[in-house]
Amino acid sequence: MTGNLIGTRIKALREERKLSQDDLARVFGFKDRQTVSAIETGERRVTAEELIMAVEKLGAPLDYFTNPFLLAGEGSFSWRQSGVAPERLTAFEKVAESWIAADRTLAPQVGRPAPNLRHALKLTPKSAFEEAMAAGERFAADFELGAVPAARLADVMERRLGILVLMVDALDGISGAACRLPDLDAVLINRNEVAGRRNFDLAHELFHILTWDAMPPAHVEEATEYSRNRVEQLANHFASAVLMPAAVLDRFGQPQGEMLAWLNDTAEALQVTATALKWRLVALAKLDQATAKTIPDAALRHNGRDVAGRAPPPLYSRAFMDVMALAIKQGRISARRAADLLDITIDDIADLAAQHGVDVAIEL
Amino acid sequence: MARHRGPVLVDTNVILECWRAGAWNALAGGYSVETVEDCVIETQTGYQRRRAEQQIDQAALHASLAAVHKVGDRERAAAIVRDSQVSFLDPGEQSLWAHALTRNDAWVLCGPDRASLRVGVRLGLRDRLVALEQLLRDAGHGAGGLKPAYTSAWHAKTIGEIAIMEGPRRP
Repeated sequence: MTGNLIGTRIKALREERKLSQDDLARVFGFKDRQTVSAIETGERRVTAEELIMAVEKLGAPLDYFTNPFLLAGEGSFSWRQSGVAPERLTAFEKVAESWIAADRTLAPQVGRPAPNLRHALKLTPKSAFEEAMAAGERFAADFELGAVPAARLADVMERRLGILVLMVDALDGISGAACRLPDLDAVLINRNEVAGRRNFDLAHELFHILTWDAMPPAHVEEATEYSRNRVEQLANHFASAVLMPAAVLDRFGQPQGEMLAWLNDTAEALQVTATALKWRLVALAKLDQATAKTIPDAALRHNGRDVAGRAPPPLYSRAFMDVMALAIKQGRISARRAADLLDITIDDIADLAAQHGVDVAIEL
Repeated sequence: MARHRGPVLVDTNVILECWRAGAWNALAGGYSVETVEDCVIETQTGYQRRRAEQQIDQAALHASLAAVHKVGDRERAAAIVRDSQVSFLDPGEQSLWAHALTRNDAWVLCGPDRASLRVGVRLGLRDRLVALEQLLRDAGHGAGGLKPAYTSAWHAKTIGEIAIMEGPRRP
């Protein structure tokens, strides 16, 4: 990517503007389109004068052609949010793009390339909810998510599937997002949500990543467990099964005693929301629907806990900070540029890396 | 070592470290110290990206510098085309290199971030890179209390590591 960044960006902008290579050759004053083609493929380097001409004639800032930490239209996002104004979401998407682009650009440079292969679920929009749940159960078993699947899911997504998982400080109302690039998949989770919500969002976004080609998700979706959109419903059923496989729930036996307390305690142990647990039990016929409807969601809020003092997980992820630390150590990105990208101080880089068990000395 | 008589180009990190270590007057008084506008901006509170920010009076900083250069798209484009690694630096560091590469006098550059040093090595300008400690000592000022990246020993070791990593290639 960095080898021919300028050529790639010229091509992207040409296509966005619906210009042919001949059109662009005329803009640049080249005698034929072959020169444009050579620039776009990286066979010919752009001169500084041509780069300035691109800025002036195509009306895009120099940064567009040269900033390695932009996606420039290469990524597709699906945001899970509620009530976020479109312009605010667009602005935040730009920030998210810079994190994902940083990983995409730097990871291969420091010997951490994205996987060669991409996993996919064999589901379609016509799949039954039972099939989505079965896929979720099987995912939990295949990847050995264990007795508390939520506790291992992010790690499995990063280490086994090569999905970039970032815990971020998102705008209020944003739960998370999935992002698909030609060569990288990423999931962003608002780390300030309660643990149960974060984990459900993570499993939900995992579904989108694993079904992106068969069921491309909408750019913006409502963050709800009661969506009417079929793809979102399938994602919710898959997520419930990943986080609460039948075998895992069997460990807790039949719902018993004081129902509210049982739901809240069991959900807390599984790091899920009690609401999601309630409906998962209905799906598994461990709780009848009529009884479930008598249990108000409000009574299950935060699993009946006071969550005020709970610290969110550290920003970003271990894999991401590992890449950033190596890139700084090897002089592939300056510490000041990295601090800008991470939106922290230079001094905080080492502390944040240490929170993830990554060692980096910032000697500045 | 003989004191350098030509321009000394400094980046944000160096200005902040000099200020922190109480060495700015020695540096600015001992050399013709120059920087770029982006670096001056980055020395101001809110832009320093340091945990403990320092109050640096912009007018006083300007007055103590031999020159503050404005860098435009043409200089920046020329630098990035010459070595794409320039685009992995922060705006101040980018601008400083973009400006340096327009000059043909006897400048040296003091900017200790590994990525900035790497650009210098890749461009075959290793001899133009200088440690803050060396500048201060050559100017007859004690250089104690500097953070590691500003010392001569760290500079020499790091330049050596980068040179090995880069090998004989040139962009």
